[in-house]
Amino acid sequence: MADAACTAFPGKTPPRTWSRALLLTLPIALWSLFMSLRGLLQPDRSLRIASALTAALMVVLFYMMMKTSSTYRWRRWFFVALGVLFPIEFIHNVMVLRGSMGIPIEEMIAGRTPFCFLPIPLLILPAALTKTLVFPGSLLPGGGMAGAGMAAMAGLWLAITLVVGKGWCSYACFFGGIEEGMAALPKKAQWKKLDPRLRLVPWAVLLAMVLLSLALFEPAYCMWLCPFKAVSEYVAARNTVGLVQNGIFVVLFAALVIVLPLLTKKRTQCTFLCPFGAFQSIFNKTSVFDIKIDRTVCSPCVLCQKSCPTMSLTDDSIKRGETLMSCMKCGACVDACPKGAAVWHIRGTQVAVKPERARLMFLYAAWAMAAMFGGSIITQGVATILQRVI
Amino acid sequence: MKWPSSKLGYTAAGMTVLAAVLVPFLLMGLFTKGFTKLGLHVDEMYSGGPTVRTIQENGYTIAIHRAVYPHMLQTEKPFVQLDWKPISALPQHVSETVDVDGGGQPDVRVSFDVPKDPKTPLRVDVDSLNPQYQAMRNVSKQKFSELIVRVDDAILVRVPLTGR
Repeated sequence: MADAACTAFPGKTPPRTWSRALLLTLPIALWSLFMSLRGLLQPDRSLRIASALTAALMVVLFYMMMKTSSTYRWRRWFFVALGVLFPIEFIHNVMVLRGSMGIPIEEMIAGRTPFCFLPIPLLILPAALTKTLVFPGSLLPGGGMAGAGMAAMAGLWLAITLVVGKGWCSYACFFGGIEEGMAALPKKAQWKKLDPRLRLVPWAVLLAMVLLSLALFEPAYCMWLCPFKAVSEYVAARNTVGLVQNGIFVVLFAALVIVLPLLTKKRTQCTFLCPFGAFQSIFNKTSVFDIKIDRTVCSPCVLCQKSCPTMSLTDDSIKRGETLMSCMKCGACVDACPKGAAVWHIRGTQVAVKPERARLMFLYAAWAMAAMFGGSIITQGVATILQRVI
Repeated sequence: MKWPSSKLGYTAAGMTVLAAVLVPFLLMGLFTKGFTKLGLHVDEMYSGGPTVRTIQENGYTIAIHRAVYPHMLQTEKPFVQLDWKPISALPQHVSETVDVDGGGQPDVRVSFDVPKDPKTPLRVDVDSLNPQYQAMRNVSKQKFSELIVRVDDAILVRVPLTGR
């Protein structure tokens, strides 16, 4: 059936033989093994097992991507695992080190607040104007939960962004997996009509948070709007303001990460709130990889539009043969298109000419980053669980 | 006309794959070093600012930091941070006058208990002997500009200033 469809629609890549898929997986298998070497050589048995399991997961998922020529559903397994295991490992560490998910003020003063990538756009203006980082962390490794420090996180972010651009949101973000998992649960969306103007909200949030962070000299998004504070850590409620802040985190998490993805089958937090996602969209313009719609074979069935988890395809963009700049290269539209009109593409090359080559090149780069960054988080999460079980 | 742009595209894609391989070995470290060399520092509202003077006492020291002033719409008051360390050398109850500005006259009297259990909340009283410094009564850690906290082997007291 699939082969017949591929013959009829040349943009659709046929499933590969197992030997060819295996051959294409070999570089990623070696890379995953290399990335997990440090864990495999540890004396801690849980960490060794977790490293082996993670490497196996990354290799099997990549093999399935090669074998079936489908990207989205296999990537989703990795992404959901990342989204679920990150809070498990993080909350476990916080509880062991501090006994609470609330950041005490002394930890902030000591510069031991863990720094994730979300505040990066908020720090740029104060840093540029006053050389000041408006975040209670450490630039260099600072002990406790400070991890490797803000410079290392920023360095990692820039390096991965250089490689995958907005693909960060599909292959590196350790928060998006929870809502992607939620969106995958129902068979059909209950809410199908979503106002497309809502897509602009993240840009408004980004602008507001950047200006507020400059004016208040604090990471305003982390202090007031980040839904993932509910599953990581939050400012310990020392007064009424703190209680209000924590209430906002919980309500936004419940609404945007749990309930709305279940109702809409979309990544609603990413689509309607995340200022980092909006900021990261800018890097879609610098990435060499993108998704195109081959207008010569597209009959506008809008299946691609329906499948897009971030509403990055509109009637107009399909007519133009491209996605919006918020596209995070998850591959859902390519997999959903029955005619192979939605294709992976390398800028400068002709649309729908060797789209599988473009897909392979992107996936090698993106999966290498996923195995390196996300893989290490998955390993830590699995090891945390194993330490409890064995 | 298509050929050169296509060639450029594939070259750029190849370089991206190469960059991916280089991320853990070279690029990440390079960018991290780049960020550290930008001369950025953490906001002094959090860090307390640099130490400008140290007073030697019997077995312990009091480090006096540069006064910190809030930026733009920051809601905190200006303050000066004083660190007593090491905690192990402090008496059970500290009550002493401190010449904060180095003018030769005591500016504040700071009093607090030093509980043996590090988890016991700290409370501080500050009497103002110089109108530039605000008095505090039974303060714990509600605000960045008025607090007493234990950080590693030091007890930090932040005394708010009256003017900007």
